[in-house]
Amino acid sequence: MPPAAITLDDIWKGYHRSRSIAAKLARFGRRIAGRANEDDLFWALKGVSCEIRQGETVGLIGPNGAGKSTLLKILARVTVPTRGTYRTSGRVGALIEVGAGFHQALTGRENVYLNGAIMGMRKREIDAKFDQIVAFSEVESFLDTPLKFYSSGMMVRLGFAVAAHIDPEILLVDEVLAVGDTAFQAKCLNKIAELKEQERTIVLVSHTMPSILQHSSRVLWIDHGTIQAHGDPEETVEAYLRTVYKQRPGPADEAAAPGDSPIRITRVTVRNAVGDSHGVLAYGDSACVEVEYRVDRPVDDPVLALSFQDARDFPLGGITSRLGGVRLEGHEGTGIVRLHLSPVLFTRGSYGVTVAIQDSRIQRYLDMRPRAATFMVDGPSVASREVSGHFVFPHRWEAEPERA
Amino acid sequence: MQYLRELAENAHLVLNFARRDIRAKYKQTILGVAWAVIQPLTLMVVFTFVFSLFARVPSDGLPYPIFSYSVLIFWMFFSACISQGTIAMTANAGLVRKIWFPRETLLLAVILSALVDLVIASVILAGMFVFYQIPLTWTALWVLPLLALQIVFALGVILVTSAVHVHYRDVGHALPLIMQVWMYATPIAYSLTSVPEWLKPLFVLNPMTGIIDGYRRVLLRATPPDHAALVIAAVASIALLLVSYTAFKRAERTFADVI
Repeated sequence: MPPAAITLDDIWKGYHRSRSIAAKLARFGRRIAGRANEDDLFWALKGVSCEIRQGETVGLIGPNGAGKSTLLKILARVTVPTRGTYRTSGRVGALIEVGAGFHQALTGRENVYLNGAIMGMRKREIDAKFDQIVAFSEVESFLDTPLKFYSSGMMVRLGFAVAAHIDPEILLVDEVLAVGDTAFQAKCLNKIAELKEQERTIVLVSHTMPSILQHSSRVLWIDHGTIQAHGDPEETVEAYLRTVYKQRPGPADEAAAPGDSPIRITRVTVRNAVGDSHGVLAYGDSACVEVEYRVDRPVDDPVLALSFQDARDFPLGGITSRLGGVRLEGHEGTGIVRLHLSPVLFTRGSYGVTVAIQDSRIQRYLDMRPRAATFMVDGPSVASREVSGHFVFPHRWEAEPERA
Repeated sequence: MQYLRELAENAHLVLNFARRDIRAKYKQTILGVAWAVIQPLTLMVVFTFVFSLFARVPSDGLPYPIFSYSVLIFWMFFSACISQGTIAMTANAGLVRKIWFPRETLLLAVILSALVDLVIASVILAGMFVFYQIPLTWTALWVLPLLALQIVFALGVILVTSAVHVHYRDVGHALPLIMQVWMYATPIAYSLTSVPEWLKPLFVLNPMTGIIDGYRRVLLRATPPDHAALVIAAVASIALLLVSYTAFKRAERTFADVI
């Protein structure tokens, strides 16, 4: 087994809630009196222990305010834990904020040297890598322009380029993969893959589960300052996502409908191929989303709009009942509309369904149920790198041997 | 000891920060580094009018312009160290919050960039020596230990003030005022010899008195500085540096949390 690169032993980090001078004096007084000083503390980390081995890429996940950034700050030595000890072996490079330390008045060239130095590189080292850094950043023609005339994209690219070349034994990455355009992102991913091949240790913080799954050999899930789970990327990410749902409102309840609405959605159910509604669908099987509604006053040609969201509520796309050609019953009474997915082409992960009923011109919402139902899909995973994104479109591959 | 090792490993950072400060300071200016000369020169002209022509303050028989300018540049060096150094952490808050490096490098860089201004300003002083035909002797080499002492003292001060400024910005507001009072409390515009005897003990408490008077002695009067005063100032400055450096390194660990 490779040696440990990072060892955390019961790390606690508290922040003082009150920064007023009175509170500070009171704390000072208690310290002199030798009494405990921790009742005013907000604990961002509550006893985190773990070991990260050399060459591992560990994904750090958890909701906002879970303590991920605090942990990274401790690893980066920017701050110290209130209690507990930790050890890192080797140079630590932090991609915590790209371009921290850039100076607007200096040129791109000057900033490369300055930023490199701040991140711990010697001048000779920067000299040697300068051309690589510049080529990576794609800002060659602006090297002697003061940074204040750079676009934000150029600045971020230059920042990442410097950071990517610091060649640390341990690299901390905080949600920076989302910078630049698609081509630049591909470059960043290649760089990370390269570092992985060189057996560097990487700690990756991201809210984007696909990129966590793609890169991590292990996932650490933190919430409320403690480790919730730690292990296999897919299992941990799924366990985490399941709790994300639990905190969201469940299936539509009537109380949420607008008071004077003539038409209401009463139930949204996701069923698998055999009609079970336990919320797990299989890729390639059929499934359906069933929407029950009730009409209290006649409505002229209502339209059902249905859309899917990913685990973080990012919209993936939707359709209306107009597109498929079904008509909803507009007279008093109840009705059911089903959207059949045959087959299910979502990639592995968790999804939500938002259902709305709109007027005949598809402009006004008569009722709207955000994330009325959620479901999980078992199927090809982005972690395998054989698929990417949330969907696989209907397709058929064909390969022809080259003719002589 | 570990502090010094880490500092040595990051010595190149001092140069980089200093270079950044100097370049950034004179970018987008027309006069550029000339500003390093214009500031003390202007103050010298004002002093010459107010203290020499109007108030007739005795200047030990020396031409007042060189009497004041020869120490003004050292005072302005000190003043720049203190005022820039005190705000050095907060001025680099973005860095301090995000990246680890020995924070005192920022302070050393401030001193280094102020030193560059001092060197530029001393070119004029050299011209004044020629103009007033004041002979320079080997005694003038005392300037170097005096400058070293002044740097040790300035560093000792800003290690404390910069750390306090992270918590309380009051320091930043009080500073210009303090520096102004301090300047007049130090024999710059006037000679130490014109200070009444009963006030002298009070003046000796100000470490800058011995240092500034020392510059004037070794440069203009070719007499070595007051050894006793110098030793006291040196011991006090080194003690201050040791205490404030340890305190600074302790405080430094949580700068990122409060800045």
